[in-house]
This record gives sequence, C-alpha cells and structure tokens, in this order.
Amino acid sequence: MTVHARHGSTRHGDASDGASMEAVGGRLSRVDGPAKITGAARYAVEQQLEGLAYAALVESTIASGKVRAIDTTRAEAAPGVLKVLTPDTIISLRTASDWFGTPPPDKPYCPLARDITFSGQHVAAVIAETFEQAVAAAALVEVGYDETPAIVDLSDGKAGDGIPIDAMTKEWGDAAAAFAAAPVRICAAYNTPREYQAPMEPHGLIARWEGDHLTVWEPSQWLDGMARTYAEWFEVPFENVRLISPYIGGGFGSKALALSHGAVAASAAKMLGRPVRLVMTRPQTFTGYGGRAATRQTVTIGAGHDGVIQSIVHRGVNETSIDGMWVEPLGSVTSIMYATPNFSSKQNVVRVNSVVPGAMRAPGENPSAFGIESAIDELAYEVGIDPLEIRLRNYAEQDPHAKKAWSTRQLREAFATGAERFGWARRSPEPRSMRDGNHLIGWGVAAGTYPVRRAYGEAVVRILADGSVEVESSSIDMGQGTYTILAQTAAETVGVSAEDVVVKLGDSRFPRAGVTGGSRLAGVMTGAVHKAATSALDQLVGLAISDPRSPFNTLQANTLTVANGRITAPRGDGPDVSIAELLRRVGRDQIEATGDTMPANSSAEDRYRNYTTIAMSLPHTEGDYSRHSWCAHFVEVRVDEDFGTVRVSRVVSALDSGRLYNPKLAESQWKGGIIMGIGQALLEEGILDRRHGRIVNNNLADYLVPTNADIPDIETISVGIPDLHSSVLGGKGVGELAIVGIAPAIANAVFHATGKRVRDLPITLEKLI
Amino acid sequence: MTSKTTIPVHLDINGQHHELRLEPRVTLLDALRDRLGLTGTKKGCDHGQCGACTVHLDGERVLACLTLAAQAEGRTVTTIEGLAREGELHPVQAAFLEQDAFQCGYCTPGQIMSAVACIREGHAGSDEEIREYMAGNLCRCGAYPHIVAAVRQAALEAAQ
Repeated sequence: MTVHARHGSTRHGDASDGASMEAVGGRLSRVDGPAKITGAARYAVEQQLEGLAYAALVESTIASGKVRAIDTTRAEAAPGVLKVLTPDTIISLRTASDWFGTPPPDKPYCPLARDITFSGQHVAAVIAETFEQAVAAAALVEVGYDETPAIVDLSDGKAGDGIPIDAMTKEWGDAAAAFAAAPVRICAAYNTPREYQAPMEPHGLIARWEGDHLTVWEPSQWLDGMARTYAEWFEVPFENVRLISPYIGGGFGSKALALSHGAVAASAAKMLGRPVRLVMTRPQTFTGYGGRAATRQTVTIGAGHDGVIQSIVHRGVNETSIDGMWVEPLGSVTSIMYATPNFSSKQNVVRVNSVVPGAMRAPGENPSAFGIESAIDELAYEVGIDPLEIRLRNYAEQDPHAKKAWSTRQLREAFATGAERFGWARRSPEPRSMRDGNHLIGWGVAAGTYPVRRAYGEAVVRILADGSVEVESSSIDMGQGTYTILAQTAAETVGVSAEDVVVKLGDSRFPRAGVTGGSRLAGVMTGAVHKAATSALDQLVGLAISDPRSPFNTLQANTLTVANGRITAPRGDGPDVSIAELLRRVGRDQIEATGDTMPANSSAEDRYRNYTTIAMSLPHTEGDYSRHSWCAHFVEVRVDEDFGTVRVSRVVSALDSGRLYNPKLAESQWKGGIIMGIGQALLEEGILDRRHGRIVNNNLADYLVPTNADIPDIETISVGIPDLHSSVLGGKGVGELAIVGIAPAIANAVFHATGKRVRDLPITLEKLI
Repeated sequence: MTSKTTIPVHLDINGQHHELRLEPRVTLLDALRDRLGLTGTKKGCDHGQCGACTVHLDGERVLACLTLAAQAEGRTVTTIEGLAREGELHPVQAAFLEQDAFQCGYCTPGQIMSAVACIREGHAGSDEEIREYMAGNLCRCGAYPHIVAAVRQAALEAAQ
C-alpha cells in the first residue's frame, strides 16, 4: 500500500490553464513525483523483511528436449545454501485458470520444467541466505538433457503454416474478385521481429507465508488477477492472498499475469517457512515471459487510378509457443482504418520453441498498423498521390467492419493539425529529392488507432474528519499517472483541493480493480471514483441539510455548494463552514462511499469474474458505436547516404484520446509510445542463435532500446474531444495509442529519403546500403 | 555467512558512516539496497548497461553495480537519498518534477544523479550535449525529451 499526500512544491512554475489545474483536465504535476525523485518510493521487491532468503533461477540451455538428470550436490554444499529446488523436490501445485477464467484442467502444475520447450525455461532454483550465495550456487547446478531438434522461429523449415485462428477472420464483399478487377494492384509482405518490453525494473517478487495466508510483494499490472492465480496454484481461498504493488517500474504489458518464477518463489517460501525474494536477472527477463511475437503479414490492395481502395486482402501469421497460445491480432487496424467495399483478413499462428509471447504495448494494433500503413504509402507512390491525400480519399466515415458510427473520430483533424504544424505542404514528393549535405531527408506520415477497452471498476472514497478526502483502489500506477488523475477526480467531484486528497493504490485488500492494460484504467477508475465521490458528496450535503445539529438545517435548502473544502448555500446567503467543521458539528468522524460501476443486479460471482478475469470486458463496438482513439504521426528522418544510418530528426503527432484527464501526464505517455516506436522501427530485434534456438542479445547492451541521444524533440498535439460513449468523463485511451503508426511513419519517411522500401523491422543500415 | 569469508567495509554514505561485514564480492549496489535499506538506487541490469544504479563516488558518477562495496572504502558516496538538503529538493529534482521527466520512476534516481554530475562536468551546454552525456541512462518509459528539458532548466538555474 502506498499513500500520496500532495506536495506543496508540485505546483511550482507549472504552466496551466489557471484555476482548474487541480481539477480533471488540469496539468497537475504527478502526486507520486516527490517520492520517486527522492528515492523514497519503495518498489515491491525493496521491502526490507526479517529473515529474507534469496532465490536464483537455473534455466534450460537447450530449446527442446527433456531434463535427464539434475545434479544438485555441489550447489547444496555451497556456502549459505538453504535449498535447491528441482521438478522432483518442489511442492506440487494445481493448475490455475487462464485470464479469461477458463476452468483449468484438474492436474498438477510444476513451475520447474522436465519437458523443455524453449531455451531459458526454469528448471531449478537455489535459495540461500544472501543474494550472492544464491547466484554463485545456481551456477553449480548441473543439468543433463536429452535434446531434440527445435523449431527456431517462423522461418524454420519445420515450422509449417500453423493453425488457422477462425476468430480472427474478417470478411465482407468479394475481396479476391475485386482485387482481380482493380486497375491498380499492390502486394507486399511485412515482417516484425521478436520485440521485448524491457521495463527498467526487472520482474521479481517477495513471497511470505503466514499459516495459509500468502503475501506477495510484486510489481503488478493486475493485483486481483494475479492474486487469483496464486490462490488457485496453492489451493487457498482468494481472500488469503494479498498482492502488494506500490510502484511498478514499467510494465508495457509484461506485468499483468502471475508467472512461473512467482510460483517458484512462493513455493520456496512455503517450503522454507521464510520470506523469499526472487528477482530475474536482466537476461532472464528475455525468456521468463514473452515479448511481442514475431509477425508476418501480406497486404494486398486493389484500387482505382484515383487511389480509392476497392479491395484489401490481408493474411497474417504470428509465432506462439509449443504448448501455449498467443494470438497477436494482425487484422485489427487493417479492418478499420480505410473504407473499402471488399475485405478479407485471416490469420494463423505457428508453434515454435519459444516462451509463449505476451502483450507488449498495443499488441495487435502495433504490427497491424505497420502492414496497412506501409501498404497505403506504397499505393500512394504507385498512383502518384500525396501520402496524406490518399489517406483522406479513403477516409472511413464509419467503422467499415462493424458498420457502426464512430463514437468520435478526430482523425481528419489530426491529419490537418499535424500536417500544418509539421509543414507537410513544403514536402517535395519525389523520393531522394530532399537533402542536407550528406543527409538524405525523408518525410513520412502514418496513422494509428487503438480501441477503447471498457470494464467495470470499484473504489472507495472517504471524507475524513479533517476535511481531507481518501481514495482507495487496488488499481496501480506504473507511470501513467493513476495517483494523480484519481486525486484530481475526487478533488473536483467532492469540492476540495487536490492537495487534500490522499490516493491509496497497489494493495489487493482495497476495492477491486481489473487489469491495467489496453489503456482502460483511466476511463474505468475515473468513472468509479467519480461515482464514489459523488455518493460521498451527496451524503455530506444530505447531512448538512437534514441533521439538526448542522448550521444549514434551518435554511430549508434543497442543495448546498461544496468548493475548496467549504460548504455554502447556493446563493451565498447562509453559513460558510469547512467540511471539517460540519463533520464536527454533526458528530461524524468520516463519510464513506463505495463507487461501483457494475450493473446493479450483478452477483458476487459476477464481481469476482469481473475483477479477476477479462471475461467481462465490454466490446468496443457494443451498442450503436465503434469506439477508438486515433492519431496521425509526421516524421522526418535523416539518412546518411554513405553509411545508411537513419536518425529520426523530428516528430509531430496529433492525437485523439478524447478528453485528457491530465494533459501534462498524457503528453508524457504519448511521447513514451512514440519513443518506443522509434526503437521498434530502428533498433529492436531479438536475435536468435539458430543452432540452439536461443536469444543471444538478451541484455540491454545488445538488445538496443532508444537512448536519450537517439531521440529528437517530439511535439504532441491533442485534437480529441470528450467522448461520453467511451467513458464517464469523456476520455479514450492514451498509453497504447501513440506507438501505433510510428514504425510505418518512419519506414515511409525512409522510403521518401532513399527510394528504398524496408518491409522488415528494424530498419538497420545493411538494409539500406 | 561466516567471518572467514567476510571483510570489514567502512562506507561514508550521504554524510553517514556505516560499518559492515561483507563478502568481498558484494557490489556497492547490493550493499546499499540489501544491507543498508537505501533502495533509492535501482538495479535494472546489474551489468552496467542501463545506468539505473548511478551514484556519486567522490562527486563523480559511477555505476554502483560495477563497483564493489569494498572499492568505496575511504571514499564519499552520495545516493539519491542524500541529494535533497533539509527537505529542500535539489534543483535537478525540482526540475524533473516540473518537467514531468519520469513516469514509472525506476530509472529516475540514476537519471537525476547523472544529471547533477552532467551539469557539474560542464556537459549541459546545449540540448545536443545533454542528450549525449545523458545517453548512459536508459528510460524505457521514454521521458527523454522531458529529461533534456529538466537538465537544461537546472543547468540554467545553476549558471545564474
């Protein structure tokens, strides 16, 4: 649990729209900021516990086969070693349900593997008195294998065509016939490699048992979902598991689920009767959970000479693991970005010897946009139409797939505003026609989108005796600004200063919350806090009007005004007392209200399902509208003509995330997405040793993420308008959106600079010279 | 841990003296985080690749994960916890808050320690120079443009 009181200095020098800075929509500095910049913020595995033991993992060095034998003799004899766990000595767990809540098969679960399906799989663990002793002893565990040939990746001859995923099929019209009849036809294949979330804080946890109660301090994007998994593994009631995740050092999709290393640590803690800390090494974070799956897409477009699309045929493939299933929905943007009378999209998944891939910032939409937003750029050159103009000619006035109206779609405004600010009109259309000395200059554009994922939420709001307000929720803040926007929401709703709001997050004992992913948290939680705060305010005003001890009791008013922590009559002709004074006079030490946006008739089981699975998420096309965030990116690259090195020198992005709850924090998230997109376009690629099926650049020196020196000035412009079909307060998604479309915008700029179309990410120099 | 395998180490951290018995292989980073509870200094890679563990040793920035605790004997260590004086934020800290130069906050202590040194070294003369001399500190949230703005702001304040 973490508490944030407002810090006086956060207002210092902040540009804002004046009086409303602390209200929803204001540019309040993040309220968890002071703790983070002073080192006081204590992240999950930094809890200092008595008797803490340290675990280190041992991982498979083959990608496929069986563990023949594990010799733990030397490790067990090493100084400080308390236990060496192998598949034979670790306690048996039960298989847990998946994140849809699908009932699991009734069979044991062992987080240490006997059957090896990827390199880097956990096969043993050493627990010792100190971190150093655990690491040293882990190197002494000897594992013998019977190795079998591995399917290394999608291009492996043994991989095959994979498994069709019928649920991904989207078709209307007659795409094949329309393509055959189209006067202009283009077809190209687009590939993205394995990419990794690489949050700065490695995955890890501290697990402690007290009787049959388990406490887990673990960075988590989903406390209640992970608590459910631990409860099912260890066959204890859900209420017996407490997840604590005060701060999360970056997740980007990777910290939403309880993973096998968590099961190892919690098992070790149970077996030893001591709290155990297990933190993955940086190399282990490349195989301890899945990054973005490698993908292949073919995009075929039939169009008229006027550039108007008549048909799109799209085929996609992503890799998954040997025994797990991950579908990266590759047709998600393809099917909605442009109007087309004929469309066909299908997708297969291919099993390879990899850890099961997982969610990474905008799963699906991100690679999908790389395909379609590159392809339409190719079409633009084919028909000789400006890349921005061709996007407007094919503008989708409604959702082409769902055939429903957009709730809001400020994409035209994004194109116009971005182009204006970028200076797109000055672009010389021909490739290789703009240069600065030895640098070829290229300007590219691409659009992005992300669906509005909605769910139900729950929060408690309390008005305390001193007039301050407290908010509790088991949702989390991994840097998006949850602490801050919930303080703003409660402050505005109740009528106090944000400085007088304390937000408590990151403890599964608080009112429940669903997964923080898919950019849903802000909309869900501002809705729940708004509801709870409204209810608390109603109680406060009700007391002030009806309690005989209240100074307002004799006014016979229907309502009262609460602002800046003071209660007044609407016309200002009555008493003026602080909230604290009113509570004192009526003899109350607090007012408490729970806000819950679940349907009123929901059962306890519904609620449990809602918060611990994703089964009850609301479709973005529910009802009459199709709900999405939108953006347009304008990018300038400079390509060294001799060396083929690409530098992004300018980015202007115009984004429609609906209403922004805090523009200062939203802009930071947008820029972060753009920067991760620059990494994806130019740097990031998991490289395989094909002999061993092993990721060889499994560290931050060899898996290149952008550094400060790689990133230019970035301008983001909000073009959104409140969208009340998407959320209670009018916001759409922020965090996932901005990465979508960056890689194709850069690839399109590189084509404009060089005349070379790179369809395989990342765009590295050898592909240009 | 037996006394045969440990050595006495005296550390001067943020003006406070600490006496520890440590195995010689214990890094300064693990001594700070696991032995002294000074968890403001972060571990991101343990291999000198990410900069999250940046601290000052005799006023110069070093990576605490590549420094043995014993190497800090007799030298002055400053960590993020020692930067604010009497509750007043260091100007670089204040600039980070104002410019929203962080999101998850995990790389932030290292960024701030690097930024303080970067300004002191005279490497904050232009945005280009700041980007280059702050390039050893990775930020996966992508706060870089705001980090540059914060360092620029603090450098200008320091020059006045």
